[in-house]
Amino acid sequence: MAEITPFVPLFRQQFPQIHSIDDPIQLLDYTVDDRLPDILMQPQTIEEAARIVKFFHAQKLSVLPRGNGTHMSIGDLPAHINALLETTAFNHVLEHEAPDLTCRTEAGITLAQLQAQLKNKGQRLALDPPNAETATIGGILATNDSGPKRLRYGSARDQVIGLSVIQANGEISHSGGRVVKNVAGYDLNKLYIGSFGTLGIIVEANFKLYPLAPAERTLLFTFESIEDAMQATIGLTSSTLAPSAIELLTLQGPKDASPFFAFSLPETGYTLAVNFENSTIAMTRQINEALKIAQTHHAFLREDLEGQEQERFWQMISLQIQSALSCKINLPVTRIAGLIDQVETICKHQHLIANIVAHAGNGIAYVELGPYNAMSRIITAITTLRNFAQANKGNLVLERCSTQLKQHLSVWGEPRADFDMMKRLKHQFDPDGVFVRGRYLGGL
Amino acid sequence: MRLYFTFSDMHGIISILEMFIITSSEGKQGRKMSIIEEPFTTTTEPPYTRLSEKTKIQVIKALQEVSGKAYVLHTLYDLALYEYDASIERARPDIVVLPASTQEVAAIVKIATHYHIPVVPRGAGTGLSGGAIPIYGGIVVTFTRMNHILAIDYENLRATVEPGVVNIHLNQALNPHGYAYVPDPSSQRACTIGGNVGENAGGPHTLVYGVTTNHVLGLEIVTSEGEILEIGGEAYDTPGFDLTGLLVGSEGTLCIVTKIIVRIVPLAEDVKTMIAVFDTIEDASNTVSEIIASGIIPTAIEMMDQLILQAVEADSHAGYPLDAAAVLLMETEGMREAVNAQIEEIVAICKKNQARVVRIAADENERQLLWAGRKNAFGAVGRISPEFYVQDGVVPRTQLPYVLRCISEICRRYQLKVGNVFHAGDGNLHPLILFDAQVPGELERVRLAGHEILEICAAVGGTITGEHGVGLEKQAEMALIFTEVDLRIMKKVQTAWNPDQLFNPGKLFPLPGRCADVKQL
Repeated sequence: MAEITPFVPLFRQQFPQIHSIDDPIQLLDYTVDDRLPDILMQPQTIEEAARIVKFFHAQKLSVLPRGNGTHMSIGDLPAHINALLETTAFNHVLEHEAPDLTCRTEAGITLAQLQAQLKNKGQRLALDPPNAETATIGGILATNDSGPKRLRYGSARDQVIGLSVIQANGEISHSGGRVVKNVAGYDLNKLYIGSFGTLGIIVEANFKLYPLAPAERTLLFTFESIEDAMQATIGLTSSTLAPSAIELLTLQGPKDASPFFAFSLPETGYTLAVNFENSTIAMTRQINEALKIAQTHHAFLREDLEGQEQERFWQMISLQIQSALSCKINLPVTRIAGLIDQVETICKHQHLIANIVAHAGNGIAYVELGPYNAMSRIITAITTLRNFAQANKGNLVLERCSTQLKQHLSVWGEPRADFDMMKRLKHQFDPDGVFVRGRYLGGL
Repeated sequence: MRLYFTFSDMHGIISILEMFIITSSEGKQGRKMSIIEEPFTTTTEPPYTRLSEKTKIQVIKALQEVSGKAYVLHTLYDLALYEYDASIERARPDIVVLPASTQEVAAIVKIATHYHIPVVPRGAGTGLSGGAIPIYGGIVVTFTRMNHILAIDYENLRATVEPGVVNIHLNQALNPHGYAYVPDPSSQRACTIGGNVGENAGGPHTLVYGVTTNHVLGLEIVTSEGEILEIGGEAYDTPGFDLTGLLVGSEGTLCIVTKIIVRIVPLAEDVKTMIAVFDTIEDASNTVSEIIASGIIPTAIEMMDQLILQAVEADSHAGYPLDAAAVLLMETEGMREAVNAQIEEIVAICKKNQARVVRIAADENERQLLWAGRKNAFGAVGRISPEFYVQDGVVPRTQLPYVLRCISEICRRYQLKVGNVFHAGDGNLHPLILFDAQVPGELERVRLAGHEILEICAAVGGTITGEHGVGLEKQAEMALIFTEVDLRIMKKVQTAWNPDQLFNPGKLFPLPGRCADVKQL
């Protein structure tokens, strides 16, 4: 068992009211890549959280922020974690200015909770990453997570208008503001989004909002060739139609979720799910024109989904992206077909199975590989795919994998020439290394 | 030559003195501190002294070797063009260079580092906040020659451009193919994409599509060490910090941008433009609030008040009414059916709010004319006033009626005429305060009124600039919306990337000695 670290009694003496756990058995649920934090802090307010960071900064100890932990697996192996700081207690919507289409919320709230409150006034946050029920806003922003509808609405960087962040010394700073347009000073929101807690802890966020869609439909097409599927995708993105999402699915492996949803995806070929949100009046023609474009590229229409069926379908898609081993590959859209070919070839050679879910219109592919314990073959496959991505103006991030695999493969890939500029920022924001190092690009 | 330089320096000193005299006589009236009490020109930090003539000759020679004699300007005559932008500030550079390539830019930066001379990047000089004004002199790098569209990739919806490409030229290349680059500042016929990136420019059509930052995916930059770096790229979500997001809108204070990868979009199937005419500003602003609240998001909602309408109509004869208190210029685009439905809803809201007339542009010609009127509004105001000062505050859209009332009250108190022409849908105000710098004390009153307007914007939860940038103009006002901690964090970014303030020194941050004025939360 871990020995009692000397700072724990000091901390408890100074902050008797702050809830914390240092029992190693209980902490087992909170390991990060098999590393046990010394203590879990559960502050009830943002101010408490700031005081904790200030204490740890003064003691030269390290802190790692955590929401509900849905994304703690992303990242290289962490350096020693003194404290894991849980943000889930600050979960209040502070303002919902419905007539102004903006809101301000504490960052420990889950996306689903936030959406439920916004829905009361007919609005929503246009972010649809997986795990809405558990993922917190802070976690979603820190990991820059997104979903299929980023095709139409963009990602977190396009929705956030302001942030409050606990800095490495425990001070709380603000960036941006509460209005939808703002160029005062540096756009630090962009810097914090996707920084994985290496620069600060996001504790509050201001968003611009959208009205709920009056009507929504999803078409499912099947294609025999990937080239056709991607040409249809490009046909749609370059048309005057405004699909909210174009998801490409190709599933070879076991489809865990399908039976549960009483819904099966095709065994062969490539499926394209095209989602439209629109006024009812424009929907019919959107659908008809989309059908025409798809047919030009030899598609078979399989389903036309609405209502609950449609909801279940998209839930299933989001579950597909969460197996034990998956990589996220970002490419120009026209290179996605080549990527899929590449994945199929590698799978054949290495005797692997791949499931692919791609935001086809954005050029973002989530590739799940199995069996995940086939270490050396997996390493070969991922290395090949990473080289392919880099040769095609893209990149590969290993979003989910075992701790063991991280000893052989970098989660982020080699940093590029601009890494020095990132290091300089990290050094300015967190010179003493309060925020746990090791996990982010280049070990930041 | 010697005479010229002496004259030039004298000129600079005189304007500084003028400003200072005005300041000390008027600035102490109000209890509140303003920009004027400590004019930027008196700041001692960063420590840049004007170039000695000897050094200047050496620098010119070095620069000539990089870019060629013809592209290094240093005579008073040539430099005079570069002492302005579209703000009310001015300062003369020592040297202007027109590089033709990224490598040249990198070489120029290295020369500047060697001689410790500031470098100020400049697009077309249409900026409204003094971003391109070289207040410490030094080298202005202007991108007139780096004006090539390097690639357009329709399938991937990307274009790669050099920073000197004029905004509208990109659209002229894209439109015939059925595509567009969305951000369209009113100065788009002159302003460059590089300048747009520097200021994170907006425009009337940002309501749905966002501002420049939402359309830039990658950059090539030159760092303050003269290193050339690729940032971001054509694909999304490059691992590591979103440096592209940080650099867009950094006002030339962190790096020099030499290449830009932007997102392009297919043109909408249908576009409809309409005007709604109101007898009171109140009705017009209530209409805006109600349209936004109803969940309809048109692509543009612009407001013009009577003073502006009269100037615009005299200038472009677009058919705007002269006797209206306010007109809303609105546009919606998308699928034909959706556009028609939106128009119906908008018309209903306008009528409910006592719109006198609602007119939908009958054809493309009328549409273009209405927009030409709006986009030339700043120029048109030149007909009725020798000078104007434009502010750029943003307020929550629900606060528009209140803030517009405050603006007219403030200007009345300072005995200044004000016209409003702005992006109402975003809550992004552009009060144009008319003045004549020849009238003693008038410029001073203009600055004070401008400051008070921004105080109101900040007080209702808004911001001091929505698209024009902080530059020289709103440095003091940064303290209205950011705490000392917030500003310190921003300063860290500058320290990380531009530690000696080689790039665009003396901008963006409140000036030394003004910490007491920093907002306390």
